[in-house]
Amino acid sequence: MIDPLRPIELALAEEGLYFTRDDDEDAYRVAFKSEGDRYFVVSYRDDPTFVMIGSGWALPVGIDPIDAIDVANRLNVRKKFVKTALWEEESDVLFTVELCVNTTGEVRPHFGRLLNVLRDTASEFFDQLREEDDEEP
Amino acid sequence: MPNARELIKHFIENEGHKVDAAPPDDAGVSELLFRTRGQVFSVTTTEGDDTAFSISTAYEIPDWAREPAQNTEALDRVHNEHPDVVFTLAHDGSLFVATLDESAQSSQELVHGFWLLVARLRDAGTQAIEDIVDRTESKVAAEKFINSFMMGGGQ
Repeated sequence: MIDPLRPIELALAEEGLYFTRDDDEDAYRVAFKSEGDRYFVVSYRDDPTFVMIGSGWALPVGIDPIDAIDVANRLNVRKKFVKTALWEEESDVLFTVELCVNTTGEVRPHFGRLLNVLRDTASEFFDQLREEDDEEP
Repeated sequence: MPNARELIKHFIENEGHKVDAAPPDDAGVSELLFRTRGQVFSVTTTEGDDTAFSISTAYEIPDWAREPAQNTEALDRVHNEHPDVVFTLAHDGSLFVATLDESAQSSQELVHGFWLLVARLRDAGTQAIEDIVDRTESKVAAEKFINSFMMGGGQ
């Protein structure tokens, strides 16, 4: 059986990053850190043409989930590739890039760009959330 | 207590990045190399000084933009905006190196804000390469226009 996430491992090696594998009976998973932030890549055994690259963050304490959803919606309208969603009873925010590919080898040359858009989206999300928080009386 | 070299190496690795560590030279200077966002960075430490390091990254100047006098001016201009970043043209003007020196009260504080330093260096370097390329492109466009005008093509 060919490992569908092997090209992702090669892309991570090219980026100079360590990674770990956490496959189970449902999915192939790669976890890694970049500049201290945690990311993951998932591909499902029953749907190997689907690949998801993402990162999850805890929302700061005291943030109104409505404000966070509003910021996420605005980013979803504007951003290429990245989907921003609140989950875990709206205490976390998840940034994901979801792609349909023949093999994850197609992702490899674009991996750096996809990591950058994940970073930038997370950064913009928290910046905008802070601005909304500052504007409230 | 780990020295600055070991502390920084351990920090970068713990943040997810592979580090290529060269042993100290005769003067006690050692270099750590790592990659982030597609760019290689070099951290230099000196034995006996565990509260300071330098971080550098190099940018290749495109063939058609290698005009040392003009590029020195561009680097001076960007240095004025980022006074903590020092730019050095190297390899006959084919690349420049951007360097930041960092010092801390103690070795434990050395890695606080490490990625912000990397970001500052990257921002200054990117601005410098954009300045060099933009000015060269403008100059080429102006020369084309002048040549065309002198040949009567501007009518």
